[in-house]
Amino acid sequence: LGKKMRMVRPWHRLPREAVAAPSLAVFKARLDRTLTSAAPPRGGRAVPGMAGRLLRGCVRAAGLCPRRAFGEAAGLRDMGFSQEQAQRLLGVESRLSPQRREAAVAQLLLLGLNAEAILGLLERRPELLRMPTERLQERAGKLRGLGLDGGQLQRALIRCPELFTLPRKRMAAAVRLLRERCLFTAEQLREVLWTCPNVLLEEPHQLHHHFQYVYFRMGVQQKEMVKARLFRMPFAELRNRHIFLERRGLYQTPCKGQTQTNNPKLKDIIQLSEKDFLANVAHSTPEEFEVFKKLLAREEEEKEEEEEEEENRDALYTEEDEDFDSEGSKPARE
Amino acid sequence: MAALGGCGPVVAALLRRGPAPGLRPVPRRYLYKKKWAATAPRIPCTRLALHHFDVNYSLQLKDLWPSVRASLLCEQKYGALLNNFSADDYVTQELELMNATDFVSEGSRKAQQGAAAEEVRREESRPQEVPGKVRTVMQTETQAEMSPPLRASISSNIKCYTYPRGDITRFRPARQDSLGILDYYLMDAASLLPVLALNVQRGDLVLDLCAAPGGKTLALLQTGLCGHLAANDVSISRTKRLYSILNSYIPKNIRETVSVTSYDGRDWKQLEGGTFHKVLVDVPCTTDRHAVMEEENNIFHKRRTKERQMLPMLQLQLLMAGILATKPGGKVVYSTCSLSSLQNECVVERAVDIAETQFNISVHVEDLSHFRMLFQDTFSFFSDCRLGELVLPHLTANFGPMYFCKLHRV
Ligand SMILES: C[S@@+](CC[C@H](N)C(=O)[O-])C[C@H]1O[C@@H](n2cnc3c(N)ncnc32)[C@H](O)[C@@H]1O
Repeated sequence: LGKKMRMVRPWHRLPREAVAAPSLAVFKARLDRTLTSAAPPRGGRAVPGMAGRLLRGCVRAAGLCPRRAFGEAAGLRDMGFSQEQAQRLLGVESRLSPQRREAAVAQLLLLGLNAEAILGLLERRPELLRMPTERLQERAGKLRGLGLDGGQLQRALIRCPELFTLPRKRMAAAVRLLRERCLFTAEQLREVLWTCPNVLLEEPHQLHHHFQYVYFRMGVQQKEMVKARLFRMPFAELRNRHIFLERRGLYQTPCKGQTQTNNPKLKDIIQLSEKDFLANVAHSTPEEFEVFKKLLAREEEEKEEEEEEEENRDALYTEEDEDFDSEGSKPARE
Repeated sequence: MAALGGCGPVVAALLRRGPAPGLRPVPRRYLYKKKWAATAPRIPCTRLALHHFDVNYSLQLKDLWPSVRASLLCEQKYGALLNNFSADDYVTQELELMNATDFVSEGSRKAQQGAAAEEVRREESRPQEVPGKVRTVMQTETQAEMSPPLRASISSNIKCYTYPRGDITRFRPARQDSLGILDYYLMDAASLLPVLALNVQRGDLVLDLCAAPGGKTLALLQTGLCGHLAANDVSISRTKRLYSILNSYIPKNIRETVSVTSYDGRDWKQLEGGTFHKVLVDVPCTTDRHAVMEEENNIFHKRRTKERQMLPMLQLQLLMAGILATKPGGKVVYSTCSLSSLQNECVVERAVDIAETQFNISVHVEDLSHFRMLFQDTFSFFSDCRLGELVLPHLTANFGPMYFCKLHRV
């Protein structure tokens, strides 16, 4: 019985209307449609043909395939993997049952990822194969709900497979923060998400600090943050570069209301390699920057220790806790 | 001296931006907000100092300024001046295990190698007096001329350990030996250069005109060569610190040979004229590193504007007093920890001029460029200094700023 249950499961992962099809031909047609709408082909890759492969894979996974002798590799080849890719894929989590493997792969195909992308993804994140397929589905749905279309969704997932495994609450908190605290528009959020999906992995208070630093300390507006792909660079690295520029006298926090500055563009601070950043923006040497980073790290460490001590001292003297809003001044949208 | 006033229109505008609110400490609950605030309630002295330096030093140092600026704003490097009077023999070992090296002995090794190589060259060039070789011979001669100070200048007993370039390790605090004497003194290693330049010889009568808190006094005593050392500083509270340093580093019998006084250095000539072989004039200045880092006691405080504007004048008067206190044939080293040419070269030039015209004393500026060569591994020197030498802070060798210039009273 247990085996039967498992064999049936993949059907439930397919879109409801496809599964409820009266005949195989109709099912195939609907599946093709589902695939096309869920994942518009990028670069004109023919998705329709994929439906057939996918279908064969699913049918096989459901125990309907008569050609068991071809083994698992054949099943994967049916789904569009080359012999070599199928072999590699089988090497990932090799103890996994064929059914579960194919079900997960089918789910990824449904998101519109191609064979090579799936392989790359699973080689980096083998644990995805073990995820219940409804989790994969649910997560993809959430991301679509945030406005990511097929191509953007694919790119986000390839760039950041952790999106699948991130707890739902964490993701929701990060999204809320970006919209409500950082005041990114829905459109800006969408762009942030597909260009820097890892933003959702940041601890919310960390993320808030990251944003506030750039908004208040560097004086950069949301629009420019999005364009510069702000969240692609880890905060610590951005801060290293910014404070280095600041101490060299090459970056100044703009005054309130000031729109024109001589500051380098955020894009150039973030997107250049360290070598190019030093040569073209900071006009400095790797030796200086190396030492600077070490010194700054030590400064930060000691500042934190000091603050902690201060807090402990304060705690000793505070009778009642005053109620206050600990948030910094709120950012405004341009 | 207009630039030194530091009150150009931009600074004035900065200052106007708002009246200073009460000086009560900020309640802790506002600190978080303050962190992001674009405008501080009062413009900190450090900001004013930095702005002033941006205006002046970018002209003076040009492309080098950003690098110096960042260095001033980062943690400075120290050197450990070994206390030769301490009985703790393990310090050197301990320091060397940590990869620190004595930059003074390294410099003197270089000087000896240089001198030896020169011997060889001189030997070689003697039989070769072919017309075509004239240039080589002339070069050798100039080098030969330079060699005595080159060799002598660092034959001191001063030892100062520093960590290599780019190494940000810190020294542990000084430790007492069994007699309660501390094993080393932590100071900006560049501060030793003026003392090395003074080149104390056995039996010299030495004056340290602005001595407190006493780092350089301590270094002068480490040579073990001073016939007599007079350490003066106008500030009573700072002379107390000088005393306490002498107490923690120098054994009683030697300590008692140092005469500590609290005169206004400008009046020195009225007390004793022309008596010293060596005089160190380490004047008060804008203390650039302090000015951009610490609010407390900041010379760029609005209240101290007049005092700051008068610094070059005070420096000039102190240097004049130093020159007058020197025996004919004696040496004066003038030093500051500022980058400002108005407090450095300009003061020296004026002093040489005044000595000549008003006192009929002839003073020559001595060439110290060999210091650059000998200590370039440890310090980063400014190559365009008109007179004297200037150590520029650099992130990989974050010592200085330190200006020093040596004068010879003829
Ligand atoms: C740069 S500090 C000297 C540091 C000291 N040489 C050392 O290495 O530790 C300048 C000193 O000059 C002193 N000073 C200021 N005006 C003076 C004056 N008119 N006569 C003598 N000393 C003066 C200050 O009190 C201050 O201690």
